[in-house]
Amino acid sequence: MSATTLEKIGAELRRGIVQIAALSLLRERMHGYQLVKVLAEAGIETEEGTLYPLLRRLENQGLLTSQWDTGGARPRKYYLLAPEGEAALPILEETWRQINESINQILKAGVAETSQ
Amino acid sequence: MSPATNDAIHKWIDEAGAAMGGDAAERKEALLELESTIYERLDEQTNAGVEEDAAVENVLDSLGNATEMGHACMPQAPIIRPELSRSFFMFTWALFAVHFVLIIAATMAGREFALPPLHFRPIEQQSVLGFFARAIEVLLFDAGLMLVCFYCLDRLGGLWPAARGSAQLTKNPRGHFESAAFMLLVLVVANFLRDNLLALYMESASGTIQVPLLGEGFTDNLVLFNVWLGLACARELWYGFRGESRRALVLDIVVRSIGVFCLMRIVASQRLVDLAGARESIGPNADTVAALLNTAFSLIALVTAAMIAVEIVRRAFRLRLVD
Repeated sequence: MSATTLEKIGAELRRGIVQIAALSLLRERMHGYQLVKVLAEAGIETEEGTLYPLLRRLENQGLLTSQWDTGGARPRKYYLLAPEGEAALPILEETWRQINESINQILKAGVAETSQ
Repeated sequence: MSPATNDAIHKWIDEAGAAMGGDAAERKEALLELESTIYERLDEQTNAGVEEDAAVENVLDSLGNATEMGHACMPQAPIIRPELSRSFFMFTWALFAVHFVLIIAATMAGREFALPPLHFRPIEQQSVLGFFARAIEVLLFDAGLMLVCFYCLDRLGGLWPAARGSAQLTKNPRGHFESAAFMLLVLVVANFLRDNLLALYMESASGTIQVPLLGEGFTDNLVLFNVWLGLACARELWYGFRGESRRALVLDIVVRSIGVFCLMRIVASQRLVDLAGARESIGPNADTVAALLNTAFSLIALVTAAMIAVEIVRRAFRLRLVD
């Protein structure tokens, strides 16, 4: 398998988890680029082209709110978890834990079968 | 910041904006957000001691291709959604086939046909190139017309509610609501404009001759035509709300049978022999035109009947599988 294919699969995997990561991080007010950096520091490299449409979608779904801050040197769009997002986050976290557990079990079973 | 640096940034932003979909306000906001990001990144680089020109280059490189970024941030909505493209091609080809047959008929008759507000002009330059050029012209017109119809129906479709869950075997419930609305529209328009839409007009020495498209028994056939469309509309609503079932299949068989009967009746009424009334205007080609149109209608009726039979067997078999 080529490195490009592996990169693509990796990117798809990451794209799925960015939503829950962004929602969780946006308990605190952040602007788009700030979120890109925080995600990168946490090991989830995300491009603006992936993150910004996702933030817009979450905002349209009512999970996030946004506000332009024009007080600084340049305007910045800040995002924050909406009340609906606050209600949804624990449910999403629980779903994530279940998926994580299931995947770990599947991977462990795969390793055990290979070593037999 | 130097003008050249500023130009490079704005050129990148303009390219991204050109690739964006959505409305103007959404685009403006997305571009402002991108611009803000660019300057944030630029500040980071210059604060780290990178020279301004190199910093701009680094930032724009890290953001990647402007067109791809614009498209990713705000994808352009296709005029025809991928799931509708198959129907779009089918309807366009069907319309083109009917349209072109009428033009061929007009060419053979050597006169213009009018189905107000549409006019079917004969092909002037009767050569392979002439036919080919006209076919392309007709295809482009029909494709454009269907594009507008699909676009409008699709946008209207968004207002319709989705049907509740059902053992739907054929198509999306929303598709049935769209079909029902379309049939209702045809029913209203066809009745309202019956003197224009359901008749063929021909010029002759004695004036304009009206040939009713529904045959000699125009009133009887119009009733039959209305019953058929009304039942077809009911069938689509049934499928939309209740999905596939044995009762729905029976209703479908009734509707389709009436449709074929209606078509056969039009052929049987030898409507096209009415062309005899316009024989003088058509001239020596009148028999050929009548025969061509009669054959076309008979073929359509036969093919429709065969397709109905095949589909009924297929669906009955699938229903049995579901049971």
